[in-house]
Order: sequence, then C-alpha cells, then structure tokens
Amino acid sequence: MNTPHGQSPLLEGRQVSKNFGGLAALSNVDFAVYPGEVMGLIGPNGSGKTTLFDCLSRVQEVSAGQIFFKGSEITHKKPYQVAHMGLARTFQVIRVYRKLTVWENMLLSPQWGKITPSQLFKPTSEAIKARARELIGFLLLDHVMDLKAGNLSGGQRRLLEIGMALMPDPDLILLDEATSGVNPTLIEEIKDRIRTLNQQQHKTFLLIEHNIHFISDLCSRVFVLNYGEKLAEGTPAELMENEEVIEAYFGA
Amino acid sequence: MDQFNQALINGIMLGGFYAVMVLGFSIIWGVMGVINLAHGELLMVGAYLTWMLNKGWGWEPFAAIIIVAPAMFALGYGLQYVLINRIIERPPLISLLVTFSLSIIIANVVKLIYTATPRSVNTMFDGFWRLGNITIPVTKSVVLVAALLIMAMLHLFLQKTRLGKSIRAAAQNREAARIVGIEINHVYAITFAICVALTGVAGMLISPTQAVFPFMGPPLTLKAFAITALSGLGSIPGALMGGMMLGLVEIFIATYVPGIGTNLGIVASFVILVVVLVTRPQGLFGGLKPVEQAH
Amino acid sequence: MGRWTLLLVLLFLLALPLPKFVGPNPKMISNALLFSMTQMFMLITLASNWNLIGGFTGYVDFGHAVFFGLGAYGTGVMMAKAGWPFAPALVIGALVAVIFALLIGSATLRLKGPYFSIAMLGTFVAMREIVRVAKPLTGGGSGLTLPPYLNRPLFYYITLVMAILVIWFIWWLRGTQFGASLIAIREDEVGAEMRGINTTLHKIVAFSLAAFSTGVVGGLWAYQNTFIDPDVVFFESRTVEMVMMTMLGGLGTVAGPVIGAALIYWLRDVVWANFLQFHLIVQGLLLIAIVLFLPEGLMGTLGDRSSTSLGRLWGRYMNASPQTPQEAQP
Repeated sequence: MNTPHGQSPLLEGRQVSKNFGGLAALSNVDFAVYPGEVMGLIGPNGSGKTTLFDCLSRVQEVSAGQIFFKGSEITHKKPYQVAHMGLARTFQVIRVYRKLTVWENMLLSPQWGKITPSQLFKPTSEAIKARARELIGFLLLDHVMDLKAGNLSGGQRRLLEIGMALMPDPDLILLDEATSGVNPTLIEEIKDRIRTLNQQQHKTFLLIEHNIHFISDLCSRVFVLNYGEKLAEGTPAELMENEEVIEAYFGA
Repeated sequence: MDQFNQALINGIMLGGFYAVMVLGFSIIWGVMGVINLAHGELLMVGAYLTWMLNKGWGWEPFAAIIIVAPAMFALGYGLQYVLINRIIERPPLISLLVTFSLSIIIANVVKLIYTATPRSVNTMFDGFWRLGNITIPVTKSVVLVAALLIMAMLHLFLQKTRLGKSIRAAAQNREAARIVGIEINHVYAITFAICVALTGVAGMLISPTQAVFPFMGPPLTLKAFAITALSGLGSIPGALMGGMMLGLVEIFIATYVPGIGTNLGIVASFVILVVVLVTRPQGLFGGLKPVEQAH
Repeated sequence: MGRWTLLLVLLFLLALPLPKFVGPNPKMISNALLFSMTQMFMLITLASNWNLIGGFTGYVDFGHAVFFGLGAYGTGVMMAKAGWPFAPALVIGALVAVIFALLIGSATLRLKGPYFSIAMLGTFVAMREIVRVAKPLTGGGSGLTLPPYLNRPLFYYITLVMAILVIWFIWWLRGTQFGASLIAIREDEVGAEMRGINTTLHKIVAFSLAAFSTGVVGGLWAYQNTFIDPDVVFFESRTVEMVMMTMLGGLGTVAGPVIGAALIYWLRDVVWANFLQFHLIVQGLLLIAIVLFLPEGLMGTLGDRSSTSLGRLWGRYMNASPQTPQEAQP
C-alpha cells in the first residue's frame, strides 16, 4: 500500500469548486485517489468534505472544475452513470430503504451496468441473490436479514449501507463517516472488512472520518480540507505533526 | 397603444386581487407547512356569504366584511381544531390528501344547499371611469384599493403586534419559537383562522366581479399555488409581485391571442408554475422550501 | 403458476358466464347489474394504474384522470369527426394518452412530493380548458356524440379481460427487477440513483404505462357512454376515486386497489345509492378517514403483522405462529 505515484489516478478532481449562493463550499480543490489505496478525507465540521463527496459522486453539480473517473471525464454525468462505471458510495445520513428488509435492500442494489433490458423484466437472478447472501454473511448481518432496515441499530444500518455499496462489485467505494454512531466492537469489524476488501480484492476506498484512529490504522494517505480548500496531504504520521492541521482541528 | 394600456390596467387590477387572494394560502404553507388545497373553496364560501347578505338584506358587498371576516375566522378556527391540527408536521402528502378531500366536501355541501346555479352580486360601485380611450370599471378599482389596504394592514399586523411577531417566528423556526416560549399550537390555530378570514374576504372582494358558484375554487387554488411558486412563502411584497405577474400574463394572453378569452388563464398559470418549479425548485425569488424525501 | 395467477384465473372463469344469465326474470342477472359490473372493472383497472405511479413509484398523481380524458377524447374525436371504427380509434386514444404522458412526465416527474402532485392537478385542470377551447376538434363545451352502440355483454367482457390483464401485469411487474427499482425510488430516490438506477427512465416508463392503460379505459368509457364533454370526462372526482380506492386497499400492494375499488363501488352502489346527492361529500369524508386512521390501507394494515394491532389480530387469526418472512421477494 505505497503511495502509487506514476500510476494514473482512479478518481481525480481538477480545480473543483462549488458555491451555494454566495458561499464558496469548495474552491479549486485538486484531488486524486489512486487504484488500490485507502485514502482518508478529513477536516473540521463544515470544511466541505461531504460537498466534495457529493460532487465526486455526481449527486451535486460542480460550479467549476472537472472530475475524471478511470480516465474519462464524468463532470456532467448522472449519479447512476458513474455507479455503472464502478463508483459506489454511502451517505453521512444513512440512506437505506427503511421500510424494506435487509435482504430486500441488498437485492435492490445489483450491478446495474450489467443488467440488460431483458433482465430488467425478470425476477432477480440467482447470481444476484448469491452475492447478496455472501455479503450479508461477510458483514455479519445474517441474524437480521429479515428485519426491516428501519428497525436496525445505527451500526447495523451502516454495515447494511456498506453492503449495498458493495453489491455492484465497484472498484472505488466512498464511505461517508462509516463509524459515526457505531459501537467500538462494530468499528473494529468495519475496519477489518475494509482491510480485507482492500488487500484481497484490491478495492479502492476513500473515507470521510472523524475517528482519527480509524484513519491512521487504515489509510496510506490523507487529504485535509479546511474552509473548502486543500490544507495538506500526506501520510497519517506526517499530518499528525503538521502544525497547520493541528491548528485547524484543535486551534480555533 | 390604447389596447396595451387597457390591458395593463386590467392586468394590474386583476393582479391586486390575486395578491390578496394568495396570502392566506402562502402564509398557511409558510407557517404550518400545510398546502391547503381547499383554499379556493374557502374563498368560495366567503363569496357565498357575501351573496347571501347582498341578496337577502341588500347589503353592499364591500360592507359584508364585518360579517364575512369574523364568520370565516370562526370557520377557520373550527377547521383547525377538528382537522388541520391532525395533519401539521405530518408528511406533506397527508395534508394534500386531507385538504383535497376537504375541498370536495365544501364544494358539494355548498352545491347541496345553493345548487350549482351561478349567482351574481350587485354593488353600487358600478359604472366606468374613462381615461382617454381606456375604461376602468369602478368595481374593480375599488377591489384593487381594498386589496392594497388589506395587505398594508396585514403587513402592519405581522410587523408590529406581538401575535404577528410570533407568527413570523414560527414560520422561520418552529423549534426555536417553541423554546422562546411561543405556544406553537395557539399560533397555528390563530394563523389558520386569520388566513381563512383573509381568504373569505378575498372571496367577498371577487364576488361583485364574477359569477359565484360552488366549483369556482380549483382554478383559484392552482393560481394561488403558481403565485406562491413565483413569490415564495408568506411574503407580502412577493405576493404583490407574483399576483401582478400572473394577472398581467393572463390579461395580455386574453387580449393579444385571438379567440381565446380568459379561460386559458389557468393554462398560463399552470405553464408558469411548471416552468418555475422545474427550473428553480426554490421558487423564482427563493424561499420555497425544497421537499426532501422522507428516508 | 403462483397462488395469484390461480386466483385470477378462478375469478375470471367465475365471471365469464355471467352475461349468459341475462334475462327478463328478475331473479336472473339484469342488464343493469352487468353494466354495474362493467363500471367496477373499469374502476379496478383505473385504481391499479394509479397505484403503479402513486403507490409503487411514490409519485402521488393528483391529475391522473387527464389520461382518462385524453383517451376518451382521442377515441371520441376519431370516431365522431373522422368516422373511424372503434378499435383503431381506441388505439389512437391510448396513444394520445401515452405521448402526452411522455411529454408532461419528463417535466413534472422532476418535481418532488407535493410539487409533482400539484403540477399534475394543474395539468388536469389546464387540459380541461384546452379541450373546451379547441372547439373545431373537440366540440368545445357542447361535447361530442359518438355513434351509439348498445352491447352490454361485449363491454362486460372487454372490461373483465382488461382488469384481469392489468392486475396480472402489475403483479408480474412487482416481481421483476424493474418493479423492485420502482419501490427503491419510492423509498429513497437519491439513494436509488446513486446505486445505479436510472430513476428518470424508470419513472417515465411507469408513468407512461399507467397513462396508456388509463387512456384505454377512457376510450372504452367514451364509447360506452356515447357522449363526452369536458366536464363529464375531466371530472375531478375520478382522480379522487382512484386515490381513495388505492389508499383504502393499500398503497403499493397488488391486491389493494382491487379490494379498495370493489369495496367502494359496492358501498356506492348498495349503501348510498339512494343518497346520490351526498355521494361526493361522503367520498371526501371517507378519504379523510382513510388518510387519518388507515394510512397503510387494509392490505398494509392486515399485512403488517408486527406493528399494527389490527395486523396482529389478523395474523393470529390466519396462522397461530408469528410471521416467518422466509420467502422475501423484492
């Protein structure tokens, strides 16, 4: 898990800016995630992390700048189109289908890019069900499989959302605060799962996190945002010593 | 040129009515989060009250305000107590369905009592003023003046009185209003009652200028919605601007597109509504609350 | 062959020979009853169509009757003005409804929640005025008279087959990936889009399918009624009926609209048939009662055996063991 310079980035933002009315949420952010790495995105509350996520995953339009995924430009693509290309994400405010069971939730997130029009009008295929079963096992959700997602604990819902993101077998997964509201035991499980996926299946991750231990245990590289601008970039160890970062986090 | 000026004057007069008509709708939406689809029907009830006083006792329609306003206030308070209370702070579709049903009930109760025959209200303010080649119906100009007066009074009420301030506070932030000790349910009840009274008075204003019948409501509700999309929630200057815009558009279409008449006014307001909502979900001048999906 | 298909086939076979018993003897089936059944089949179809967009996709359409009206006028204009026979005219009627659905849907389906509902209500009211104004084509306010054709059994059969087909179609669609995606859109549209569902396309397809079928019902209704004018065709209450029947039965269930439509039709025909002047008032009160006290509908309330008291009771009645949702189909 070295910083893979020389490789071309998997996801890249060039000079990304986003304004809400007169307020600049992001200004000219240059940003890249390389294949095979686990990268962290940190910054104080309101620094624009989720906005950057939303822009990268195309949930929000950028005001200026360009976004590239796997070398092709996706600046004006729709969210479902980038999902087909192999980008998946979770949300800070958990978005699972609350009135449906865990099992149904999983089946609703298949690999859409590979679904042909004829399959669209057939019942869910066995392959999709097998994958859902496997992921439910992998994420320790077996015993709640038939519960409605709205009745799960916060941690279980986070796991379910990660499972739904993994269903289409994406190459890059953006996790927005995967550990918030999750109990410490489950955090260790999530950490372990991310590591397994990264090392065995070479999935690339980009994490927004407030849990600094989580970041330093998992990430090879961390990007720091402050007031919508890039503040620093480096290994977790380097950033721990960076005065500016410490200032931004603990200073004010 | 005369035709243009005439259309301009007519549009402004119609717009003044629209502005006062929309306020009840837009304040209820802004303060309580309820989209009141029975708005047009409440207006119709106000118009019928005026017609009764006019026909039965020979009252001047504009004097009917002394009966219409308190009667409609009481009706609004009752409705709030029995029904609307149960739908505040519930998903918007619940309030849509309930007020939609309410609109059908009101229209058909009125039809049951008074039949569907269109009624007309007579006023002593009839005749025309002439300005060069332009004719101005006296009734409509009185309506415009009355509408502006009512809006000014409402503005003073919302800005200067304690109750008005509570209403504005509740519109901006329900929780905060609760914390600073505003009794929110009381504010809701009063707001709804005031808005229904206002809507009834708008019905009174329109009664001398057009036929009064049980099914006059739905187009007015839709126009109220379109104007609110233009003007934002609960803003009096916004309502004036949005109302004028719709009034002018309607009259100019009727004047310059041959063989159509004012029937297509509803089509115009609908087109405005959809175009504004699709291109600017926050409303033309902002202030419409975007609808976040429940999740 | 699932339980549902079996039930549908059974119902179909039961209903099939009804017209054979039409006769003068009062104990036999009267033409009036046959007509009544025809109306009910139409309402079942309409409610099921509305459920596709309102119940499954979660876009509560307050103007769905606009497609009924367009189907009726498309068919009516072709028959009365162009002199076409019924069948091809009906195709035109349904096409007009679908094309309009594609056009208006691509604008209005971008709106969320109440904005969509109101925009569709606006579409409906605006279309009524447009039809009224377009006199040369539609006859304006004085309406159109279609060539009369009195054949109750034929309409009975057509509407019976149509209702069965639509119910079956929606049941089938519910089990497909497409149907499941509609549910995903209803539950969380942003999430669904991010998980790869082309929500715009899904919504428009569902909307147009519903519009097509509603257009067909409109055309059939026009022919059966032999007279159409803007007020009788673009009738607000028609949308209210669709919404009410679906909500009574249960939004987003296959059986809900069928049960709701049958129940309300029965109530209207039997219980308050003698008080027709109160009909719409009762209907409005009923809808308020359903929304406030039975928001999940009969199917939803009885089907959810874990969280509603009525559902628990029903569950105990149906089987002694608590529910075991093993066969969780999406």
